[in-house]
Amino acid sequence: MGARLINIEYYLPDKILTNHQLAKQFPDWSSEKIEKKVGVKERHIVRENETALDLALIAGKKILKNYDKDKIDFLLFCTQSPEYYLPSGACILQDRLDLNKTIGAFDYNLGCSGFVYGLALAKSLITSKIATNILLITSETYTKHIHSKDKGNKTIFGDAAAATIIEKSETEKIGEFVLGTDGSGYKNLIVPNGGLRNRYNNNVKEIYEGSGSIRTDNNLYMNGPEIFNFTIKVVPKVASKTLEKNKISLEGVDYIIFHQANKYMNDYLRKKIGISKEKYYSNLLYTGNTVSSTIPIAIKDSLDNEIIKKNDKVLIIAFGVGYSWGGTIIKI
Amino acid sequence: MMEKMKIEDFINDLKDALDIENENIEISLKTNLKELEEYDSLSLLSIIAMIDKNFCKQIPSSDFAKVTTVRSLIKLIGKEYFII
Repeated sequence: MGARLINIEYYLPDKILTNHQLAKQFPDWSSEKIEKKVGVKERHIVRENETALDLALIAGKKILKNYDKDKIDFLLFCTQSPEYYLPSGACILQDRLDLNKTIGAFDYNLGCSGFVYGLALAKSLITSKIATNILLITSETYTKHIHSKDKGNKTIFGDAAAATIIEKSETEKIGEFVLGTDGSGYKNLIVPNGGLRNRYNNNVKEIYEGSGSIRTDNNLYMNGPEIFNFTIKVVPKVASKTLEKNKISLEGVDYIIFHQANKYMNDYLRKKIGISKEKYYSNLLYTGNTVSSTIPIAIKDSLDNEIIKKNDKVLIIAFGVGYSWGGTIIKI
Repeated sequence: MMEKMKIEDFINDLKDALDIENENIEISLKTNLKELEEYDSLSLLSIIAMIDKNFCKQIPSSDFAKVTTVRSLIKLIGKEYFII
């Protein structure tokens, strides 16, 4: 007995922020350079009155169009842009998606590593016979946390939600997991204010970053160079440990999907690990970094474009805020 | 111990990382990186990658903040990695 991934659907909000618009706002910003290096041309961003739960609901409805919703017996909801402190968004989603009242449902707070952790949770719920048909929704609206004058983060991040169904199966299609955490880096990717440690502050001072970006402690802060250092150190090790644990070589894997952080970082990681370009997914051109949804979006697009096909073994690695990371191999 | 690097090779790699296209811009040990238009958050990523590739070393961002001249960057990486 095991678990398998059945289907993925995603939703991108309809409002688009283009490089052209960003170049207007930041005159010293080179549209060409950004596209070449960061690999993003446009990102979808939520409107003022649109939330991660709204996106999750649309992605959820989309996937349930082709799936009997009464079969769902567990809902996992991954977000760092919650509707409320309490209750859990997952409870609200149960009602709005009209799922059975007999399901288990909860939120978990993870960023870029969220999808891999979601698969690990789903697999363990299935193999422990707690659930059989799981709806996993990752939804993020980092743009709500980003200061309107934060050039760097506005360039990188986009909003999105992805819904994935994981089902009990005869054979195991979700491999062994390598998970990791290093909370010593928590300050390098953080929204400092708005929680209960530091309340949201209306009189907060503006902080001028060296690169010409402005933010406050109410907003998302990312120490890009430090995050890059972390990924250089951790990701190659996670990749090799995941392969080892699944008793497979890099050559034996059909395709490799990493969390899409930014093009430069992903290209560097690819070269460092020694992965050929042909086997490596790299595309955030029209979405930007959508945090916990980059991997399901990549899997869905790779399936739709027949880059990956049935029975392919796909290595997936996720890493980011926390720090938190994880890797596994899924069989399509 | 890794092979030591020639200063001129390092400066060439640094120029690539900074994406300096203007051939008239001379980079020497005395060049103050902070005064270069090309030294921004994006080129910093390239410099981090270049240092990792050549020396298998990650420089904490707080140390990067103290870098001024190319010489100070070399000192930060460690003089023992260079043929001086």
